[in-house]
Amino acid sequence: MRWMLLGPEVYTFLAALGFLGISLAGRPNSGRDHLAALCLSGVGVLLAASALSEDAILFSEVYRVDLFSQVFKLLLSVGLFLIVCICGEVREIREENRSDFFALIFFCTLAMMLLVSGNHLLTLYLSLELSSYSLYVLVSLRRARDMGVEAGIKFFLVGIFASALMLFGMAVLYAMTRTMNLNALNGALHGMMGQPLVLLGVVLTLSGFLFKLACFPFHLWVPDVYQGAANEVTAYLAAVSKLAGMAAILRFVASVGQGGADLVQVLLVFSVASMTLGNLAAITQQDLKRLLGYSTVAHAGYVLIGVLTLSASGYASVVFYALALLVMKFTAFLVVVKVAGNGTNLHINQLAGLHRRSPVLAMALMVSLFSLAGIPPTVGFTGKFLIFVAAMEKGHFALVLIAMANVLISLYYYLLVIKAAYLLEPEGETGPIAVSAPTKVLATALVGAMVLAGFYPYPFMEIAQAAVGVLP
Amino acid sequence: MAHSPCDIWTLPALVTGTGAPFVSFLCTMIFTRRRPRLSCGLSIGAVSISFAASLFLLVCHWGMEAPIHHVGRWLVSSDVNVPFGFLVDPLSLLMLAVVSAICLLVQIYSLGYMAEDPGFSRYYAFMSLFAWAMMSLAVSPNLLQLYIFWELVGLSSYLLIGFWYEKFSATQAGKKAFVMTRAGDVLFFMGVLLVLVHAGNLNIVEINGIRGAEGYSQTIAALSAILIFGGIVGKSAQFPLLTWLPDAMEGPTPVSALLHSATMVAAGVYLFARLFPFFSLSPAAMSLFLAIGTLSMLLASTMAMVSRDIKRVWAYSTISQLGFMIMGLAAGGYFAGVFHLTTHAAFKALLFLCSGVFIHHFGTNDIFKLGAEGSTRFKTPFLCLVTAAGALAGVPPLAGFFSKEAVMGALLEGSSPLWLVPALVGVFLTAYYAFRVIFVIGFPGRSAQTPTAQSRLFPSEEVHGIQAAHYRVMVGPLVVLAFVTLFLGFAQGSLESFLLGGEGRSQGHSGAVHGLVAALALSLAGAGAGMAWWEFGRKGATRKGLVERIPALYRLFSERWYLDHIYRFLMDRLVDRGISVLFLQNDNRVIDGTIDGLGKGTAEGGRLLALLQQAMIQYRLMAAFAVVALLTASLFF
Repeated sequence: MRWMLLGPEVYTFLAALGFLGISLAGRPNSGRDHLAALCLSGVGVLLAASALSEDAILFSEVYRVDLFSQVFKLLLSVGLFLIVCICGEVREIREENRSDFFALIFFCTLAMMLLVSGNHLLTLYLSLELSSYSLYVLVSLRRARDMGVEAGIKFFLVGIFASALMLFGMAVLYAMTRTMNLNALNGALHGMMGQPLVLLGVVLTLSGFLFKLACFPFHLWVPDVYQGAANEVTAYLAAVSKLAGMAAILRFVASVGQGGADLVQVLLVFSVASMTLGNLAAITQQDLKRLLGYSTVAHAGYVLIGVLTLSASGYASVVFYALALLVMKFTAFLVVVKVAGNGTNLHINQLAGLHRRSPVLAMALMVSLFSLAGIPPTVGFTGKFLIFVAAMEKGHFALVLIAMANVLISLYYYLLVIKAAYLLEPEGETGPIAVSAPTKVLATALVGAMVLAGFYPYPFMEIAQAAVGVLP
Repeated sequence: MAHSPCDIWTLPALVTGTGAPFVSFLCTMIFTRRRPRLSCGLSIGAVSISFAASLFLLVCHWGMEAPIHHVGRWLVSSDVNVPFGFLVDPLSLLMLAVVSAICLLVQIYSLGYMAEDPGFSRYYAFMSLFAWAMMSLAVSPNLLQLYIFWELVGLSSYLLIGFWYEKFSATQAGKKAFVMTRAGDVLFFMGVLLVLVHAGNLNIVEINGIRGAEGYSQTIAALSAILIFGGIVGKSAQFPLLTWLPDAMEGPTPVSALLHSATMVAAGVYLFARLFPFFSLSPAAMSLFLAIGTLSMLLASTMAMVSRDIKRVWAYSTISQLGFMIMGLAAGGYFAGVFHLTTHAAFKALLFLCSGVFIHHFGTNDIFKLGAEGSTRFKTPFLCLVTAAGALAGVPPLAGFFSKEAVMGALLEGSSPLWLVPALVGVFLTAYYAFRVIFVIGFPGRSAQTPTAQSRLFPSEEVHGIQAAHYRVMVGPLVVLAFVTLFLGFAQGSLESFLLGGEGRSQGHSGAVHGLVAALALSLAGAGAGMAWWEFGRKGATRKGLVERIPALYRLFSERWYLDHIYRFLMDRLVDRGISVLFLQNDNRVIDGTIDGLGKGTAEGGRLLALLQQAMIQYRLMAAFAVVALLTASLFF
């Protein structure tokens, strides 16, 4: 019996149960909860790292533990740990809900760990729903109930809409192939991809993943939810939950997509629409979280470019980009959380004079936004570069050109934010922002990681290539 | 094969040695900007680590036979592989040791010189950046990595020259240095690309291994050598890009010391030495380099003859000495050039640091004023200044004498001994201007004393005065450098066998000819010094140089041969009124119009799309459903 096979999942489940227990016991104590979450998620990272080399197919082939899933589980654990790091004082969530909050993000992470290992359409669906339900509640937890609940409802409506389409697609796929196992589908669909019904099933099934990824046309929830949720929850949504979406769509497309020229066309439409819409809409945004929400939509478009290459190098570039997004998005939200000390939403103008109020945060914001925009030598540049190279290898020249134009547009609004942080003078007197030493270290380490991974991406690229090597 | 401790520790020593200043730069910029003491401690600590590491490496690999590579992959693009790492060979080890030693001494000296400057932390951060860039440049195994650090050296010198950015002339000088060296760097980069296209990689050892026969035509070799030399011309301030260096004196004096001895300008000569075998492939290019070196040396010497600004005299002498090194290298004297680079680093740093003591105290750069106000009261700095000037003039047994003789020897054995003539003229001029400064400062004639000088003989301690503690900190490095200047010359033999890998020097000419040249050079240097004494040193001297009596010549020299005027004129006529007007129109009408239109369109589009988000959730879901429905419908047709 290899205990480590399901080590990260079981551990996260137990941790989540622990927080549920604390919550039931009453007596809220957010300091204790935070410390516990910090320790638990830290150990979780180590556990996920040590389970990296596990490999098995379990439970009558519905659950697959391989390098691909383990790499993503490690990324998820790291993401969870990072998020917990900034959850010291979640002002926008009531004291009595803090342990629920921790329980929910642990449950959500657990669901996403299951998602990245799913080898069966139903496993994928169930874990997707589990993670979404945790998120619906997390979004609604905001102290300003009207904002939170409105966002939660919108999130929920779009979510069930996507789920319904996904289930319908699965049903069609099952009807055509009599199987829901991904490995079996891979074999059964061979040569059938030309049939419209099969294609319909695949595209509709994708809608669930696209919803998770915040991709057009299921991006409708993103701006409102990013704006309405508490800052920490938005950070979790943006940085961590996207990872699982990428992993799931990669595994699904790699299994069913071979030889699907029409599927590539559909994904191409989604990709172009997603990045163009996201970037254009972001230009006029004044709320920083909303802006980052639209930028997420645009990034979903870039991710789809890597997916639609249907090649190992494209998949590897997506895995690399997942890592890049985790670090970049988290750093940006770290700054949001710290600058908006009282938990309110952050207007771009409120960043004025940030470089004097807190040089470290200003630098972190600048590097992360440059990285999101894809300026060398940051990790965002390398990630985009790898994706574009993979697309060029497959001859998607026009697509890469459109993506480049989009990168250019995105630079504009990122620079607006940087300009606010570095060049605008604050209107009233604003004192320096109190940033604790661990936060400074964290911000510096993240900046260092972004630059270093951009400068020397080889180790990460090799991991990404090895990870996608196990995909069919 | 058993691994000795040296082999095991080489890589860690390289990494920590070159990396420590960078770490200190980052820490200073991010954390300790408001704590000057901590910043300078960090910086000096880091450069001490570098120095220790470089010494360790030097001792370990003394007498090494084959260069050691430590490389990792950095970029692979189809068949071009760009590695990064370290190249350890005698030349890079020597350079590493020189750079770290000079950086360490200059940073210690700066403790006194820069004390109480508001930008103290920033200064040390930039110093660390400078040290990092230069040391990493020295150990770069390929041209691309070298180019990156080459640019970083340029950047950090820009930052340091314009360090007192409130001063308009300082920012102007920084800009000039940056732009002029960039002009050369463009050529350099084109040369690098040419090498990459024709040789297939940028590995320095492999480039140096190219032989004429290996499908690498003579023309291409000469062309790429000349292009790369363009970078050297810019960096080492050779003709025609030499005017930035005197202006670069706007920075703090320790910066000048660093800039002129071991970093920045030395980078150019170092690159020449680095690619020496490659450059030797094309004799035509080498002749051109020889001519440029000679021209720069003579031009700069004449400029130095008339300048009254002590820092500028040393700046011109740097150009002329660099020209001298390039002459030596271009004539085929690999060791001679590198040896002169090493000794020059020591005595040029010493010259600047000594001058810095006076400048710091009296608040003026004018040698006549410095003399009149009694600079000789500072015994140690003045003695050091004399030592360094002697080394510059080539007085035995100082270090400069040996290295100059080596260069002379190289010229004698080179393609045409005729080049010796300008070199000897250069020796004469160098001795003249070096001792002119010494005599003007050391023997202030009574006539030159201004009436106010008496009252300002003891300037108030608060204004410019050096506090005793600061003074002691500044004198320490001077003494160390003076000793190095005194004794480095005697290390010639061992350094030569180290650099040339144990081969003895080939004796082309008999010892007698060498002796004759040495005697000639020595007597010319003596004549130069004597002339300086006649004009400035002796009692009742006119204190007016030979050149100053010929107004036309004086104007020509002090206006730097009107080079700046010519550049200015060309800039105004060709660039400002010609090309840039055309570009401006294109910019205004074509590009701006298009971009504005595109931008407005984009912003409008953004507004429109953001409006979509205002709709009620039902309509939005309908829109999403419509999209999916349309797409699926399209699948069926």
